[in-house]
Amino acid sequence: MSSIEHWMQFGTFAQKDFFEYPAVGTYDGVLINANMVAYAPGGIAAFLQEKRAGGKYIIDPLTHAFQHDPALISDGEGKVKSSLRQLADHYGGSIAEIAGKRPLRPKDLNDAALDALVKSCLAYQREHLREHMTESNAAKYLGDGATQPPYALVAPYFYITESTLTEWLAVCAEAIRHARSAAQDGEKVFGSVVVSQGIVTDPDDRARVIEAFTGSEADGFLLSVDNLDEISAGKMELKGLVALAAGLRSGGQREVINVHGGYFSILAAGSAGGNAMSGVAHGPEFGEFRSVVPVGGGIPIARYYVPGLHARIRYRDALRMFNQKGWLSSADEFHSSVCGCPECRRVLDGDPGRFTLFGEGNAKSVRRRHGIVRIEFPTRDATLACLKHYLERKKKEYEAASSAPREKLLKELGEGADKFEDVAGLDGVAHLRLWARVFESQ
Amino acid sequence: MTTKRRPEDEIGCENDVVRAVTQFLSDSGYRVRVEVPNMGQSADLVATRGRWVTFIEAKMKDWRRALDQCRAHEHVADYICLALRCDSPSDTLLQAVRDSGYGLIGVSPGAGDVRWHHPPVLNRRVWPPQRRTLSGNLREIRHVVD
Repeated sequence: MSSIEHWMQFGTFAQKDFFEYPAVGTYDGVLINANMVAYAPGGIAAFLQEKRAGGKYIIDPLTHAFQHDPALISDGEGKVKSSLRQLADHYGGSIAEIAGKRPLRPKDLNDAALDALVKSCLAYQREHLREHMTESNAAKYLGDGATQPPYALVAPYFYITESTLTEWLAVCAEAIRHARSAAQDGEKVFGSVVVSQGIVTDPDDRARVIEAFTGSEADGFLLSVDNLDEISAGKMELKGLVALAAGLRSGGQREVINVHGGYFSILAAGSAGGNAMSGVAHGPEFGEFRSVVPVGGGIPIARYYVPGLHARIRYRDALRMFNQKGWLSSADEFHSSVCGCPECRRVLDGDPGRFTLFGEGNAKSVRRRHGIVRIEFPTRDATLACLKHYLERKKKEYEAASSAPREKLLKELGEGADKFEDVAGLDGVAHLRLWARVFESQ
Repeated sequence: MTTKRRPEDEIGCENDVVRAVTQFLSDSGYRVRVEVPNMGQSADLVATRGRWVTFIEAKMKDWRRALDQCRAHEHVADYICLALRCDSPSDTLLQAVRDSGYGLIGVSPGAGDVRWHHPPVLNRRVWPPQRRTLSGNLREIRHVVD
């Protein structure tokens, strides 16, 4: 059986230690947004040298940021956010000109402009971190290994919806062809397929995307579907996701990494889904689905990843379920019925009452529309405990989906639904049965 | 028991419901705190008398949402109540609070009279470790009327 590559998105420097958690070597690769590289190149270079020496990383060029309403990439004063401004200046040409003034359009990218963008975009990924790696403190200890190139260079790409398919698809495919020509010997070129759910569910649109991208000589693809939450997604979205990934994968000839995926995608990447993806990424603190155009984050709340549900749920709901089931009657009962990962054993330390530590919060007064209200925020310790437990379980999920027989994996989904249905309700477990049906129908 | 308020104290928003119920409970010998955080949400009122802790969710009319919010309090509260702006609750609402064991406090829309429509029953689902966490948090929050 082939192993599923476990990728993680780089979020903030505060989370850098988790790229070695639960163990060094857990993650096959790291995805880093280009605006983060622009904002803190020295820090990213040091992170890669110190935490990921010799490991794979890919820089997402984030070119789609410039096709949206400028307000979405601007600060409160209407100026383009500094990291994206720096990125636009590195890319030059049309993007540097229009960033913050108006959205980039396909017609802004004639053949010469697109070629120039591709070259600057690839050069940025190839060289920007290398310069900082060479100058870093770690360089003298790492010798020849000090400058590690990206695993693959990603061609400029844009977000494609049903209504903009014709225009942007042609640009994206052409950008990959230019990138192929501009790539140096031994450099892999990836395309980034960022599409709406409408594209995924329409067989004709999906076929057009697959044909255009696979005809573009890319070595592999980053795949991202706008806001596709596998827990709440319907059958058409899930089947469409697998079909799109499998089509891009071209019978295993190309790598396909789902940039935001949960357990459904992990299964799809393994035997259950016919190895439709080569790898799946998530963030250190979740990131299993994401909107292409970011929206506000809301108030943080403690969430516990329930392994049997493959879902991260509010602490209070987890507590209610576990209590009703009697799984908090003893630490042993909890570890055998809910989770026996090292982090859960450390937190409980033999006392089921210590499960409260996953939901611990500090109240702070916050000004709201109707006055000042008291809101509870998770403590740092609670956040860390939830996060470490989540990463422990993710590692196990990738390992299981890589090695366990398809029948066993699908049977476990049904067993999870049966186990939780009386406390989570039918809606709370329906995703597990739907996932099994989607894979069984393939 | 009912508490009579002045006619000009019309109940126009949720805060008015909270104020009326706070006064009502204080008059009944409870010590009341408002906006009490509990597992990522905030209870509108928490009233204590002796060792008993009562959680109250106040609403103008969306009692189904209040019922949902009350569920999280079952791990920590001895008694759980809804406080609603209403003169006479519907049969559906009364049945829902009876089924869940919650109490129902009504605040009349015009004069703001407050009365029990249905008393709560003792909640047996309290989880002691979570209750201890709540007790620690309560000590940090001042009573509204001392």
